[in-house]
Amino acid sequence: MDYQALLRESKALDTTGASRSLKLALLSDAAAQRMEPLLRTLFACRDADARIYTAPFGNIELEVCNSESGLYQFQPDAIAILNAIQSLRADFSCRKGNAAAFVEETVNRIVRIWEAIRSRTSASIIQSNFVLPYERCFGNFDHKVSESFYAAVMNLNSRIAEAAKQHPGVFINDVESIASWIGRRNWFDERLWDMAKSFCSHEHLPAVARNIVDITLAAQGQVVKCVVLDLDNTLWGGVIGDDGLEHIQLSSHGDGEAFYRLQCYLRELHRRGVLLAVCSKNDLRNALLPFEKHPEMVLKREDITVFAANWDDKAENIRKIRETLNIGFDSMVFLDDNPFERDLVRELVPGVIVPELPSDSADYVRAICELNLFETTSFSAEDVRRTELYQQEYKRREKAAGYASVEAFLESLDMRIGVERFDQFHLPRIAQLIQRSNQFNLTTRRITEAECESLMKDSRWIPLYATLSDRLGDHGLISVVIMEKRDETLAIHTWLMSCRVLARGVEQFLMNTVFEEAKRLGLDQVSGEYIRTAKNEMVREFFRQFGFSLTEEKDGHTRWALRVGEYSPSKTFLRAVSDVESAVTV
Amino acid sequence: MLTPPRPEIMEALTAVFREVLDEPALTLREDTTADDVASWDSLNHIDLIVAVERKFKVKFTTREIASLRNVGELATLIQQKPAAQH
Repeated sequence: MDYQALLRESKALDTTGASRSLKLALLSDAAAQRMEPLLRTLFACRDADARIYTAPFGNIELEVCNSESGLYQFQPDAIAILNAIQSLRADFSCRKGNAAAFVEETVNRIVRIWEAIRSRTSASIIQSNFVLPYERCFGNFDHKVSESFYAAVMNLNSRIAEAAKQHPGVFINDVESIASWIGRRNWFDERLWDMAKSFCSHEHLPAVARNIVDITLAAQGQVVKCVVLDLDNTLWGGVIGDDGLEHIQLSSHGDGEAFYRLQCYLRELHRRGVLLAVCSKNDLRNALLPFEKHPEMVLKREDITVFAANWDDKAENIRKIRETLNIGFDSMVFLDDNPFERDLVRELVPGVIVPELPSDSADYVRAICELNLFETTSFSAEDVRRTELYQQEYKRREKAAGYASVEAFLESLDMRIGVERFDQFHLPRIAQLIQRSNQFNLTTRRITEAECESLMKDSRWIPLYATLSDRLGDHGLISVVIMEKRDETLAIHTWLMSCRVLARGVEQFLMNTVFEEAKRLGLDQVSGEYIRTAKNEMVREFFRQFGFSLTEEKDGHTRWALRVGEYSPSKTFLRAVSDVESAVTV
Repeated sequence: MLTPPRPEIMEALTAVFREVLDEPALTLREDTTADDVASWDSLNHIDLIVAVERKFKVKFTTREIASLRNVGELATLIQQKPAAQH
């Protein structure tokens, strides 16, 4: 939300039922009235009902040194002090001694303010640093001259940070980093300072307010403790189950560098004490492979506290991870490149923080960093050992909890499936899917495009493809089922599906279709085969789940059959549409 | 003599004022001043100016902002400004 939107929102906030309420006081040597509505709104966005006290402009010392002042009567939980470089500039220009003495005096003044507050209240103190000025009186030589304003401000910022280390409960609001991210030429609007003593262009005030909100809530214990990670196309490029170890993208240079960069960032978080968990739709064996064998993996198996790689839905897995770690959902961040999974988790596991990830993996780290998700107000030796502690805990318990309904979510997706016989237009994509699918592929018969074409003309064969779309978008052609009429039997020769659409009922819908087809043709039974490969373990029991009986087994090649009259159709949340309709992107 | 502000400018100004002041029913006349609109205080004045600048892709000087007496003068000022000057 931008500045104007936040202001409008502030007029109609409803924070009844907010999970926490708090009081924040604001002291500034600039005009800070506009911060009040922004802060209330941003706190509300984080489920906190905040009351804000804004001290009269420029009255910092008077407020903090008088026990009877409005500040103390308000009894704040946190006190934010915002110092403007514009005020400092005027002070600097009137200095009596040299710049070093000025820095010393200024730090002492700021520390005296903290101590005056601390002697009267235990509220957290959130001290801003100073945005570097644009004047560089000596040019680049400023860095070598301690008398320059620029050098004095740099010096001052590091002295304030040093002093804060000596004062528990004092936290730095790094306004300089916000201004530098935005760019100082956009940050400052001198006219606003001259007319209204606004320390920056108003459109950037929300970023300052958000910093204060983040720090205040972190000081109250609202921190992220665990990052839950998808694997394929999040931690590395490509699909490990299909592409194999040699072909996933992950490298310290070139193609896979985006993923390498994300892993480096996550490793730093891990070193800081943030737990890492994996939640991936994969065979466990495949999912572990890069961790064990890939030379460029930055994250190692032992960095991952809970490793959930299976074919269950992700909401369920995240609930299990939460239970294992015994932390709140609101202290978990879930990173996944797939918008379907992100939406599923947002809807089924409220509280979990699910950032949008950009479509270009090169921007993953930047997008995550911009959200400032990992604010904290402490760091200890304990943090460094945390993964180890949790892993011990994990080994002691491994059980699932009750979950809310996945069905309701699937229903809300408004999924539309189109099932059609092969046609010329779709042949290239059909052939491509047949060549590429490894995991959800029952027989792995690599039929060529030319062979597909001849099947289309042979009346014994029923070659079908399926397309899927839902309210999140169009998934295109995602499954192929090829059947052959043999006497009184409809034999399933090929069945494969893109793993991106697993667990949505597509295979159930198609099995219903297969039996309808058999009935329509007046056939007695449907038969199927499973041919084991290194990659298709996940569908080994595919036919059994539909009630098929095993009729033959030899060297990992199994044959199955089920009488048409004995099949009971599965319930799904897919709506059948003609191909043309399903291809329309929503 | 200044050219009278075009009706389109007044219309666009009305839209900006309505949004910033959060008053969907607000109507502006050439001679409307801050005294005529309760929510048009000194704080909102800054936000109005910045929003107008963004809308018309112009930039006013401090002196121009300070000398404005009513909405008509603001519209005139916009007309006199070359667009996208910053």
